[in-house]
Amino acid sequence: MSYERPQELLKPVRRRFITLTFTVALLLELLPLPVGSTRWLPDVVAILILHWAINQPRRIGVGMAFLIGLIADVATAGLFGQHALAYSITAYLVQLRQRQLVMFNLGQQALVILALLQANQVIMVLVRLASGAAFIGWGYFLPPLVGALLWPLLNKLLLLPYRHHSV
Amino acid sequence: MNFANSPSFANQGLSPGARLILCVLASLALLVGDSHFGLMDRARDAISVLLYPVQRAVNLPLAAGRHIGDFFVTQAELKQENDRLRSLELAQSGRLMRLQMLERELAQLKALNQLKAGRSDGGQLAEVLYTARDPFSYKIIIDKGMDAGVKAGLPVIDEQGLIGQITRVQPLTSEITLIVNKNQMVPVVNLRTGQRTLLYGYGGGVEVRYLSSGSDIRPGDQLVTSGIDGLYQDGIPVARVTHVDRPAGAAFARVLCQSVAGVQSSRYVLVLPTRSAVPPAPLPEPEPSVKKKKTTDEDAG
Repeated sequence: MSYERPQELLKPVRRRFITLTFTVALLLELLPLPVGSTRWLPDVVAILILHWAINQPRRIGVGMAFLIGLIADVATAGLFGQHALAYSITAYLVQLRQRQLVMFNLGQQALVILALLQANQVIMVLVRLASGAAFIGWGYFLPPLVGALLWPLLNKLLLLPYRHHSV
Repeated sequence: MNFANSPSFANQGLSPGARLILCVLASLALLVGDSHFGLMDRARDAISVLLYPVQRAVNLPLAAGRHIGDFFVTQAELKQENDRLRSLELAQSGRLMRLQMLERELAQLKALNQLKAGRSDGGQLAEVLYTARDPFSYKIIIDKGMDAGVKAGLPVIDEQGLIGQITRVQPLTSEITLIVNKNQMVPVVNLRTGQRTLLYGYGGGVEVRYLSSGSDIRPGDQLVTSGIDGLYQDGIPVARVTHVDRPAGAAFARVLCQSVAGVQSSRYVLVLPTRSAVPPAPLPEPEPSVKKKKTTDEDAG
């Protein structure tokens, strides 16, 4: 296990930057995309919540995940509260083990992210089944795989502005 | 300095567990409220007004791309299309003249028989803004809303047939529930046999339910709206039967259908005005002229 990553000191992350990333992710939700693409496109908002809950636990916790989930509910025209429920539960799971997760390398983190994103999907499927929707097939559990594969790249990208390059 | 891993010594309000319980309870309340009572419509309206400019802004580059794509079509293509349209127009103008004559005749006959005038023409063209990202619900958002006089319940068609019904109207946009959405019902009639049934969406497709297994229905049958619900005009093509399964021992046949319209692919749709199903109330007895004058005054004021 490598201990390189957590030992580096990042510059303090600005709140503005976190807001910006969420704004961009919610805009992505609103983009009119070809019909088939929803089958593999990962839930960027969920990935961002997990990312900031791991790396900035003081800024993004259960409450913020809940609020962002409400906005995602409106943006996706889904049932009010389904994203909020899923996001707040996974944000809580991250918070329980945040000290451990931040020590993991990117590969190990990706595995955890995969499990958490799948938990999101499971919660949302259960909510929709309970409210009377039909099961929509196992293809619904594919996007988390793509999300987990994208995790290392996204992580590097999001922390890029806060590295000390001179050191 | 607020570093990522600096421990928080001060007690910061509620513990995460308590926060989670609060959030879970709140979202469960919202879920129940939304799915059973539709309590959240107003909040959604308010937020959708805020989101509308954002939606337009996000859609702008894509729309621009499409316009540029439209601009760079070749001369040959234009010529070809023009020729095709010209011949089509010629062919259709003949039929249109006959149709106008028939319509006039029909109106006369209906007037003679004191029947209510059937189909009213016209409708509002709307552009599909985006398809909702929620994979469970088959809904699309269009760019006409309360400001354009769109009302919940209006049927929506494209150039080939029925695609759905307006279910939620927001100030500037509205939401169409497609006919393939779960438990979306359309009263239809089989063009070949004249049998009336109900077409149900089952989430991604349409089927006819509760049709006895002995009934006469075949693959290839056309289903059009029957118009007996007072909502859809009659004669809008809806679906074509693709597969009929008559399991032994079951009371009902399984009839799978294919929707006719580009339910999930049309870019422009037409919102039809609703037809007035209720016959006009009988006129009241003529009253004394003084009283009548009073009522007209009230109307004017």
